[in-house]
Amino acid sequence: MGGDSKYLGLWFVAPYVLGLVLFIAFPFVASFYLSFTDYDLLSSPEWVGTKNYEKLFTRDRTFDKSLSVTLTYVFTTVPLKLVFALFIAVVLNYRLRGINLFRTAYYVPSILGGSIAIAVLWRYIFADTGLMNMFITMLGFEAINWFGEPGNALFTITLLRIWQFGSAMVIFLAALQSVDKSLYEAASIDGAGPWHTFRYITLPLITPVIFFNLIMQTVQAFQEFNGPYIITEGGPLKSTYLLPLYIYEKAFKSFDMGYASAISWVLFFIIMVLTLIAFWSSKKWVYYAGDKRN
Amino acid sequence: MKSKIMGLVLATTALTGAAQAAELRMSWWGGDSRHAATQEALKVCGEKHGHTIKPEFTGWSGHYEKLTTQIAGGTEADIMQVNWPWLSIYSSDGSGLADLNELSDIIDLSSWDAAQIEAGSMNGKLNGLPISTTGRLFVFNKTTYAKAGLDIPNTWDELLAAGPVFKEKLGDDYFPFEGAKLDAALLMTIYGTQKTGKALINPDTHKLEWTKEELADAIQFYKTMVDNHVIPAWKDVAAAGNVRLHENPLWADGHIAGTYQWDSTYFKITKPLNDDQEVVYHGLLSQDGQATPGIYRKASMVFSISANSPNKEAAAHIVNCMLNESEGVAAMGTARGVPASTAARDQLLSADAIKQVQIDAQAKVIQAEGPAIHPMMEFPDVRSALQDNLELFAYGEVDAATAADDMIYAIEEALADIAD
Repeated sequence: MGGDSKYLGLWFVAPYVLGLVLFIAFPFVASFYLSFTDYDLLSSPEWVGTKNYEKLFTRDRTFDKSLSVTLTYVFTTVPLKLVFALFIAVVLNYRLRGINLFRTAYYVPSILGGSIAIAVLWRYIFADTGLMNMFITMLGFEAINWFGEPGNALFTITLLRIWQFGSAMVIFLAALQSVDKSLYEAASIDGAGPWHTFRYITLPLITPVIFFNLIMQTVQAFQEFNGPYIITEGGPLKSTYLLPLYIYEKAFKSFDMGYASAISWVLFFIIMVLTLIAFWSSKKWVYYAGDKRN
Repeated sequence: MKSKIMGLVLATTALTGAAQAAELRMSWWGGDSRHAATQEALKVCGEKHGHTIKPEFTGWSGHYEKLTTQIAGGTEADIMQVNWPWLSIYSSDGSGLADLNELSDIIDLSSWDAAQIEAGSMNGKLNGLPISTTGRLFVFNKTTYAKAGLDIPNTWDELLAAGPVFKEKLGDDYFPFEGAKLDAALLMTIYGTQKTGKALINPDTHKLEWTKEELADAIQFYKTMVDNHVIPAWKDVAAAGNVRLHENPLWADGHIAGTYQWDSTYFKITKPLNDDQEVVYHGLLSQDGQATPGIYRKASMVFSISANSPNKEAAAHIVNCMLNESEGVAAMGTARGVPASTAARDQLLSADAIKQVQIDAQAKVIQAEGPAIHPMMEFPDVRSALQDNLELFAYGEVDAATAADDMIYAIEEALADIAD
């Protein structure tokens, strides 16, 4: 029995470990090797050295465009989403009648937002004769070409991402509720208004959570696929052609698995560098309990 | 002695197994009408030959990715509907798919002529049986043209002249034709092919045939069509969410009165039409001094049997039933166009199961002349090269000469990659 207990934990973690090895660790390592090969899926990979990376950085204009669009998308989406999620979390932190209903309602888009069905719905809402333009023209403005103009198309994709603010909001809400109430009482006695209380008490105390959300949202934004794939098909003029779309098309339309792996590794490298920068900068703006800094 | 008896028993069991009921899978892409017809055919053929066949069907979008991944993983269905250009990807040396010549005692190959058998063969192995031959034709909505007081155009000039008339008589939202993305690229291609007499990519040399000037001229023609209100601008098509023609209400109600489509899409594009709309498959438009009518014709699709299938004979029975035997042919009808199999075609003709419009359209496809189409014209990278650069031109980002330059660069790069 003692022996059984000793290995029982291993049995419980085995499914996860197996999944991790088979579906994450192995593809991760394999894709690194494949990025140095010419591999069409139907025949064996052929070693080509750094040829894929050379092509990527020297003469692939689609990659340049896709990278530029991806960075624009990430640097627009992540801050807006964090600000919006925090704003809603602050509102939902007030003790209001039926507040739990509101909290649930605001979380719902996060459950639905990444689905294909919502992406299709988004396409209908923003189509030239869709709900959004009906509303705009009803107000007396001219209809907007949401999907036909490059800037507008990226905006609709960005909006879909921001609309899925629920998970970040729930984490912010938990952080807001964990702030020591005595600090607010002290500030109030000292005559601090709502803005000063938020700026000098709330915000510094939830910086670890802001940091966590920043990292998670950045990583997720770099991996966005469903929205642009379903709604705009990467267009027009590749204005919504995010890197995951390019990876997918290279891998599963052109069946150039080696090249797709190389793009994946460049994307991984970019995410890693940005994450490291965020970690490095966090020393200057993230405050943890017991932190001795002044 | 004991082992000999055991061997005999095993051999007998194996032989009996080959003739016994098999559980098969069949995959295809298509629209609703094709899905319904094929499922019915599988049911009647399965009952006739004592097999059960599990259907696996999707729309066109994503089917290539799915099938290729399945073949790479060895999990493809026993019977597959394969797009003709894909044969060279899946079975360049003929070994990637079953050789149907080896199953000719089950499949009656006499229903196909030598050219059709050749089209389905790779390296001398018959990897796919052509289901039908298809080609792009100009299709017009007769009702809307009549409303505009116009006859169906026979030439590009007449089509160009129809644009302003539509605008004036019917309104800004009526167009005599349509074309964006791939359709726009193929319109540009046929216009240039007619003018030059050359295919864009030479099937023998695998090289780009057109000069930069010839390509730029064809690209410029796209703008002429937009400027003349013949087709909606690219960005306006995008504004609607890039809706497919058969899902577009503007096509269903006649606001869009023309399109350049495969003749095999008859059911798909005519089914959504409102009752009062009548369309005609009109053949090809022509231009003064053209070198060729420039038909874009190919074996539309083939039926293949997996090289990995443990039930090739059973699969062959089902393929033969769908393409040659009366029960299967009746159920399949013309869901994949007018059949290439003479047995199927004769049966459907005598049963009046092929609509006259389909017979006429098929005759136009077969009779029209044009340089042979290179399978690489249908490869994703070549199509992207055409579409992406035409889109840049359509949005006014580059002029026709630059678009031609970039298109040539991208196509040559794609061809080199494919050849590697």
